[in-house]
Amino acid sequence: MRRSFPICAAAMCLFVASEAQDIRVPASAVAGEEASISTTGSGKATFYLIGPGISSKSDVNLGEEIHLQAQDLRNAGEYIAVVCSRECHNASFFVSAGKPHRLTFLVHPSRVPVAQNDAVTGVALPFDDFRNLVTTPETINFQLTAGNASVSRSVRTQDGISWFRTASGKSAGPLQVVASLDDISTRRAVQQVASDPCNLRIKGERTATGILVETEPVHDCAGNPVPDGTIVTFTATVGDEKSTVDAPIKQNVARAQIVASGPAVISAASGVVMGNELRVGGRP
Amino acid sequence: MNRILSDRCIAPVAAVLAFSLASVLFSYAADPAVQVQLDVKEASPRAVENLTERGILRDYRFAWTSMAQALEFNTLDPLEGPFAGDARQWLRETVISQQRSGLSQRYAAQSHKLEAVFYAPEGDVMELRDTAEYDLQISGGGKIIHDEHVVLHFIVLMTPGADRWVIRQMQAVPRF
Repeated sequence: MRRSFPICAAAMCLFVASEAQDIRVPASAVAGEEASISTTGSGKATFYLIGPGISSKSDVNLGEEIHLQAQDLRNAGEYIAVVCSRECHNASFFVSAGKPHRLTFLVHPSRVPVAQNDAVTGVALPFDDFRNLVTTPETINFQLTAGNASVSRSVRTQDGISWFRTASGKSAGPLQVVASLDDISTRRAVQQVASDPCNLRIKGERTATGILVETEPVHDCAGNPVPDGTIVTFTATVGDEKSTVDAPIKQNVARAQIVASGPAVISAASGVVMGNELRVGGRP
Repeated sequence: MNRILSDRCIAPVAAVLAFSLASVLFSYAADPAVQVQLDVKEASPRAVENLTERGILRDYRFAWTSMAQALEFNTLDPLEGPFAGDARQWLRETVISQQRSGLSQRYAAQSHKLEAVFYAPEGDVMELRDTAEYDLQISGGGKIIHDEHVVLHFIVLMTPGADRWVIRQMQAVPRF
C-alpha cells in the first residue's frame, strides 16, 4: 500500500503533464510560406506532419508553437497534423497554391492552313513557384499577331484552366500567340500556310521523249503560294490506257514528263482540287 | 498403402488451399477494389469519346490502387506507370519521406466520384474533379496514430501517354 501511492502519483503527474488539450492549425496557408501550429497542455510529445510530399516526425513541447518550415509546405493540398503524447490529437488544414509564377501554354496545331474556322486552339494553365496549379480565378490575356494585324482576348481561368479557339488568318506566315498573366508571359508560334490550291491550271508541250506538262504558279484562293513539296498528280489518258505521275511543287510550279507518243488527255489534281484538262496531239 | 499416403498428402494441401482462399477472401473483404464513377456529361469543349471514358476510368482506378500500395508499403515502383510530372514527384517525395520517418498510410474502402470538367480541343489534357471517400489509417512504429473516414475534393489533370492516361497533377482543395 505504501509503495502504490508514489506510483499512482507519478502516473497522474504524467497524465496531467503530457496531455494535449488542443491543436490549432492555420486557417489558411500558402504553398512555400512558413506557418505555425499551436498546442495546449504541457510536457513532451511527438509531432507528425503528413501531406503531399512530406511525412515528418519530431519531438515537441506541448504548449509551445510548432513551426512549419516553408520547405515543408511546398505542395498545395491537405495536410494532417498529429500530436501524440498520452494519446494522439489531430487536425487537418489546406495549403493553397501561391501566386502564379509560370504559364503552361499548349497551342495547336503547329502548322495550319489559312482561312480555316476554329483551327487554332490554346490552353493556358497558371502554376505557382512550386508547380502547384493556381485554381483561384485569374484573367489570362491571349494575343495573336500575324504580320501587322493583332487581336487579343481575355479569358478567366476556371479551376486553373483558360482556353481559346479561333480561325486562322488570311495570309501565310508565322502567327505569334502569347498568353500573359500580370508580368508572366509565354509565347508560341503557329505557321500559317496556304490552303488548298485554287484554279489549278496546267499547260504542256510535246518533246522528243514525250510530253512535258507543268502547272501555272499554284496559289490558294486567297492568293498565297502553295508551299513547296505539295503533291500534284498528273494523269495521262492515251487510248484506253491511263498513267499517273506525282510531282511536288517547286517554286510554285509542279512539272512532270509523261511518256506517250499518241494523242493524250492530261489532267491534274492536288488534294481534292481538280485542274483543267489538256489535250496534246500525237507525235508527227 | 498408396491410398493412405495420398490421403495423408491431400489433407494438408487442402488445408493450405482453404487457408489461402480464406486469406484472399478476407483481404478482398478488408480492402475491396477501388470504386470509381465517372461522369463526362459536362466535359467541354471537346466531348469525351466512349473509348476515352473507359480508358480514364481504368487508369484512374489503377492510379489510386498504385498510390495506395506505394504509401502503404513505402515503395516507389507502383508510382512509375500511372503518374507523371509533378504528381509523381510529390508522391515519390512522400514515400521517401515516409521511409525516413517510419510512417505509412493505408487507404481502404475507396470510392471516387469523378467528373470530367474540361477536355482540351485537341484531346491532350483533361481536367477532372474527384470527390474521394476512403478510410485513412496512418501508422508509425507499429501503432496507428490517425484513423479517419475522409471525404476530400481533388482537382486532377490527366494527359494521354503512349498506352494509357496518366495523372500529372492531383491537388486536394477545400471545395469545388
